[in-house]
Amino acid sequence: MKILVTAKRVPDPESTIKVNSSGDGIEEAGIKWVVNPFDEIAIEEALRVKEAQGDAEVVVVSIGPSEAQEQLRTGLAMGADRAILVTGENLDTSAVAKILVKIVEKESPDIVITGKQAIDDDSNEVGQMTAQLLGWPQATFISELKIADDKSSAECTREVDGGMETISVPLPALITADLRLNEPRYASLPGIMKARKKPLEQIEAASLGVDTTPKIVIKSMAPPPAREAGRIVESVDELVTALQSEAKVL
Amino acid sequence: MIEWSEQHILMRDAVRRFVEAEIVPNLEEIEHGDTPPYEIMRKMVRTFGIDEIARARFAKQIAKAKEQEAAQAAQDGDPQGAEAESGTSKREDSDAPSEGAGDAAAMQIIPVIELSHYCPGIVTAMGVSAGLTAGAINAKGTVAQRERWALDLLTLDKIGAWAITEPGSGSDAFGGMKATARRDGDGYVLNGSKTFITNGPYADTIVFICKLDEGNAPRERKVVSFVLESGMAGLTQTKPMRKMGLHSSPTGELFIEDLRVGKDHLLGEREPKDGASRGGAKDTFSTERSGVAAMALGIVQQCMKLCVEYAKTRVQFGRPIGEFQLIQLKLAKMEVARMNIQNLVFRHIEMIDKGRKPSFAEASAMKLYSAQAAMEVCLEAVQLFGGNGYMAEFQVEQLCRDAKVLQIYGGTDEIQISQIARSLLAD
Ligand SMILES: Cc1cc2nc3c(=O)[nH]c(=O)nc-3n(C[C@H](O)[C@H](O)[C@H](O)COP(=O)(O)OP(=O)(O)OC[C@H]3O[C@@H](n4cnc5c(N)ncnc54)[C@H](O)[C@@H]3O)c2cc1C
Repeated sequence: MKILVTAKRVPDPESTIKVNSSGDGIEEAGIKWVVNPFDEIAIEEALRVKEAQGDAEVVVVSIGPSEAQEQLRTGLAMGADRAILVTGENLDTSAVAKILVKIVEKESPDIVITGKQAIDDDSNEVGQMTAQLLGWPQATFISELKIADDKSSAECTREVDGGMETISVPLPALITADLRLNEPRYASLPGIMKARKKPLEQIEAASLGVDTTPKIVIKSMAPPPAREAGRIVESVDELVTALQSEAKVL
Repeated sequence: MIEWSEQHILMRDAVRRFVEAEIVPNLEEIEHGDTPPYEIMRKMVRTFGIDEIARARFAKQIAKAKEQEAAQAAQDGDPQGAEAESGTSKREDSDAPSEGAGDAAAMQIIPVIELSHYCPGIVTAMGVSAGLTAGAINAKGTVAQRERWALDLLTLDKIGAWAITEPGSGSDAFGGMKATARRDGDGYVLNGSKTFITNGPYADTIVFICKLDEGNAPRERKVVSFVLESGMAGLTQTKPMRKMGLHSSPTGELFIEDLRVGKDHLLGEREPKDGASRGGAKDTFSTERSGVAAMALGIVQQCMKLCVEYAKTRVQFGRPIGEFQLIQLKLAKMEVARMNIQNLVFRHIEMIDKGRKPSFAEASAMKLYSAQAAMEVCLEAVQLFGGNGYMAEFQVEQLCRDAKVLQIYGGTDEIQISQIARSLLAD
């Protein structure tokens, strides 16, 4: 069994984000970069499937700047077997999906697991677009994954409004991981030592023969308005009036 | 080495996340409650596979030691030919840092630095157990003793204590030592009290250092070490003592009264010739001293992080206090200290990588400087925070109390100074 997982390079959710001087992106200097937390969950799930199946291979893929090697090393240190880095600039979700399709065609995995979204642009599109382009079944926002004994299908529990939905997808399939799927492990010391020796293949996006012209252009970015100081009201009446006439929420 | 490698940073980030998720939320409990740190230590060791690495390394070392023992037994037809010392010195060679070991050393130092950002006490409790105690057993024990006691300490399945200090002997640890072992049939009877013993209250395995009483004058007695186990008749482990800082590391007293042990508890299972076992203790001091630099680096890094943030956000006289030159001076001096300690740590890793060991005097100089620098930085950090610095909520208060111990244990500043000077003045 082969499992392909994604690892996008994103700013650490803890870091302070500032809009850059040209107003069309973020100030990248001084930012700490991490594996997209949902991708980390995807990697963890792939490793669990591998551990349960025994003879599985986990391949971790990142599409982005060459520095994304660091994120791939994290995936390898967690336990993935090898890594593929597709380098390219200014790639929007549709370009990333098209590139991912090429990698899937080359690798023919049984399952592709992506995070449900990346925490930088919150697009929540790559998984779905990739499945569509491949013509594969998809199970999105899953919180539980069970591979059938004969490995021909996977039972996925999805979080839907007000409850859970369990669906079965024939393999190969694409799955996107939600927050509650698992708690990712820390890279261990032996894992980190071994990661350096694991293969990391680099491919240029341009060499894959896909049109990566962005369909989305970011016109401008603005930080959310600064939060105003709170106010202590004297009575319940004053609170109700303020909520009605000022905040207009009642 | 001028900076951490990509691999080191992976380790650092992983440990940092662990510390933030597992230690920081429980800090109040560990530092101010009665919770011993051992469960968190074990979780850390297991999470990062440190136990797995320890087991693999231990298996290799034991295989090598067994070969050596066999070779030696075959070599000396006459049983008196093999002296305990020659066996020991050979083994120390095989445990000496081998070339290219810098990376492995760095991987051990990084968690020390990261833990020291919040919990220098946990580092102490862990270092004494897996470092000092297991180290002493590995350096001086027979293969059977190492297998019996050392591995469980390295994996933290058992907690260890290393007891040399006594109420009447600290800096002059060997000279003033009153604890004794008397021969009794084919075993020994032990007596003595030990104090300030890290992990003393909870230790499962204790290395008890004492003098062999052969009816000679105390100053002339040979130093011997025994391995004691919690629960032995005649051993009392007190409750943790109250202390200034380092609250996450339990410290206690040990009372040993007519405790009978067999020869299998004597480290090396042979009485040493003359003062041979003091050398072993010296080696132990050396390792401890380089560990202190890594702790100092962690403490200084954390003080700086907190201080820089505070200097930018605390406003007085209408300006962030970071705009006042007197505050800038504090920050600049902290940065100088941080660079110096980091350089010492990097140099230490580099030396290990080249298969070299720092001399005793070098290790002393490293400890002296890092401990003093960390203490100065902490005091300045408290000052920079003003009244908040004196309040427990702002963490520099704890680091300041914790840092003081670096100047006391593992040999006081004064003792480091005299050892450095002695080596300079020696012919
Ligand atoms: C938190 C903590 C944990 C510890 N853990 C352990 C442990 O696990 N195992 C263990 O065996 N011990 C442990 N110790 C003991 C520690 O090693 C001793 O406290 C230390 O070596 C100093 O000895 P002392 O306390 O007896 O001080 P003393 O030796 O009495 O020193 C008192 C003062 O005199 C100075 N002084 C002494 N001799 C000289 C000299 N020749 N020249 C100049 N000045 C001198 C000292 O520097 C010091 O300032 C621990 C101590 C602490 C505080």
